[in-house]
Amino acid sequence: MKKSIRRSALVACAAASALGLAAVPSSAAPSTVWTVTPSPSSFKAVNVGNIVLTATIPMTCTTSTAAGTMASTTGNPGDVADITTMNFGSSTSPCTSVLGNVTTTSVVPWDVIAVDYNASTGVTTGYVGNVKANVTAGACKFTVTGKASGTYTNSTGYLAINSTAGELVVTNPVNCGAVVTTATKPTFKGTYAVTVASTGAIPKIVGSNP
Amino acid sequence: MKATPAAAPRPSRSRVRTTSIAAFVVLAALVPTTAAATGTQEVEAELPYVCALPSGQLPATVRVSAEFPERARAGEAFTPSGVTTTVRLPAEAVADLAAPDAAEVRAATRLDVGVAQNTATATATWRGTAEPVALPETGPLTLVATGDVPSVAGRGDGDLTFSAGALAIDLALGAAEGAATDAATADPGSLTVDCTLAEDAPERGLLATVPVGTGAPGASGAPSSPEPAGTSGASGAPDDGQPDGTGEPRPEGQSERSPKVLENGGAPDRDDVPPCRYDEQHPPTDVSLNAYITGYANVNKMKGAAYLPPSCVLIEQGLPEPGPPDPDYLIFDTVSYADFHYEERKQTPPFEATFLSFDFAPVKATMVMEQTGPMRIDSRMKIRLSDFTTITDTYVRAPLVLRVLDLEVNGTPLDVGSGCRTRTSLTSKDPDPAHFPGDHLVLYGRGEQTVGLPATGYLLLSGGALSGEMSVPAFTGCGSDGEDLDRLLTASVSGPGNFVKQVQGQTCAIAAPVFPSPENEGQCTEDLQPYEIPVAER
Repeated sequence: MKKSIRRSALVACAAASALGLAAVPSSAAPSTVWTVTPSPSSFKAVNVGNIVLTATIPMTCTTSTAAGTMASTTGNPGDVADITTMNFGSSTSPCTSVLGNVTTTSVVPWDVIAVDYNASTGVTTGYVGNVKANVTAGACKFTVTGKASGTYTNSTGYLAINSTAGELVVTNPVNCGAVVTTATKPTFKGTYAVTVASTGAIPKIVGSNP
Repeated sequence: MKATPAAAPRPSRSRVRTTSIAAFVVLAALVPTTAAATGTQEVEAELPYVCALPSGQLPATVRVSAEFPERARAGEAFTPSGVTTTVRLPAEAVADLAAPDAAEVRAATRLDVGVAQNTATATATWRGTAEPVALPETGPLTLVATGDVPSVAGRGDGDLTFSAGALAIDLALGAAEGAATDAATADPGSLTVDCTLAEDAPERGLLATVPVGTGAPGASGAPSSPEPAGTSGASGAPDDGQPDGTGEPRPEGQSERSPKVLENGGAPDRDDVPPCRYDEQHPPTDVSLNAYITGYANVNKMKGAAYLPPSCVLIEQGLPEPGPPDPDYLIFDTVSYADFHYEERKQTPPFEATFLSFDFAPVKATMVMEQTGPMRIDSRMKIRLSDFTTITDTYVRAPLVLRVLDLEVNGTPLDVGSGCRTRTSLTSKDPDPAHFPGDHLVLYGRGEQTVGLPATGYLLLSGGALSGEMSVPAFTGCGSDGEDLDRLLTASVSGPGNFVKQVQGQTCAIAAPVFPSPENEGQCTEDLQPYEIPVAER
């Protein structure tokens, strides 16, 4: 009993702080037109700093890359990009945890969904949706699905992912014992520098409500 | 079997590149415990680097200081001492690190050091850790990292050069005092910065030159031929530097053999290690793993160390269960079981060790370690709730008798018979004797991870170094035709306080195999053997 209380507290703490970081001021009226420049375009993304995936225990990836396409769209929320390649770790730098090395195989496409735009800062708030990844550490296997909140900053080209507890869920945990169960609330935290694949330029996302 | 190329895949940053045939398979069966007492040369090199920071490529200055011997003998191992790596990151880099709440930074460094002799090369990884320092509000950041580094031995005559190469800096940013300390996501961040030696670095990063060979003073103490014999037994058993005359003639061109980096050098070739796979007699389950383990065990009475060549272990991975309640930690306990696996028996492959008995008579023993019961692996994972630092302590308990198969004293074979072994298992002092009675060897390893940084140390799944101390019990059943060799072996080998260090490689999970690919470090070969063949460390 005591143990389960402690674990809930831990998750609550993680959730609270993640929420704090994800909160961004809303603009007066929700954007319904999303202008991506250039559009359409292929993009690539590489991690800035280490990526931390947490499923009860933290896992660190020193290398993570993504690629896909982005294009202008309408509506709110607006699907501004499809991530068609999402790698965690590489052949020379696997993701690690105190359980051991962790292998994550993404099931793509994932989406980048824009929800809010702050014209004064050039920051789009939204989430990475349709997340699905199969994770293994030794004989322990599980699948993570859901979404991960984040922001995109036009001035830097940084896609900062900072999921809150509850956005991602665990399914089909096998041989993970008490460490990873269907009650585990995984989180995904990390920043990616996004560039246009052909030019290396920083793409822009601008939301408006004409 | 003759020594073969040692380009076994070891897919990590410390991957060793060797240009030489027959270089690394020749590992020391007997490692001199004392190096030659010669003068030292103090080295201090300031080198320009280029580091990849989030805002782009930035110049950095890296100062490496260390002490090297003035000279060394061929085959003589020495360890650079007092190694300090000082990294000076420019103010622009500090701005990159200045995340909200970040007040201090902890750093660890991994410097690739190229070791070359003539045209042969190897790579050592010099690891260092730095004390936490405050992030400066303005100006550059200086990190001073210190740590022990691997021993190195030149294989022949010629200058041994050490050159600085790629540098990785793991940075953990700590929150300002009083800032949120509640959860992992409050951590201001961490990153690994990869740096390369600048193209205009003087002498391509040369740190030191140690002349090896002719004219160098001789080693004291332990025996060693002037040049390594360079042969390998059928099992891959090592036989380095032993004047026992059992080696095949040395191939031509051995002067070009790579220098030997004793702690993170190359692994034996896969052809030289016994297979490690599940089979009909040992079918895998969905929690089955396999791995190689190799290392050294000191034999104090012989003033030497026995080398255990890579040996196959089959492991049944346990499921983590909640551990005891603790106000500061979330704890999970895992119990796994393992067996050595060699030719369908629960034992190591035969291995040879050559010692000088009573300081004068060369004794060569061929031995195996046989299990008398299952090996039990207890791992306790502790997650500190204050900062999510995680630690996994692992104890491996193995009831193992040492069986002597062959014995040669002064070149003369002695018939030890078929039942020559230690009376009981090799023993260690158990940290929890109430729960783990009986004679067994205990090896311990710790894995750690600061949130946002790579995990380090020993972990059952990914391997690492395990160490312990063992007593070798008296021998029994040794000798034949009325000749009792028990007393000879007991007098020359048995005794307490022998340090053991074994290195386990990355496991291969049979039901969830990870094959090498651009995205993934290989864990399994195509036929589900362990992909990594680990390298023994001292």
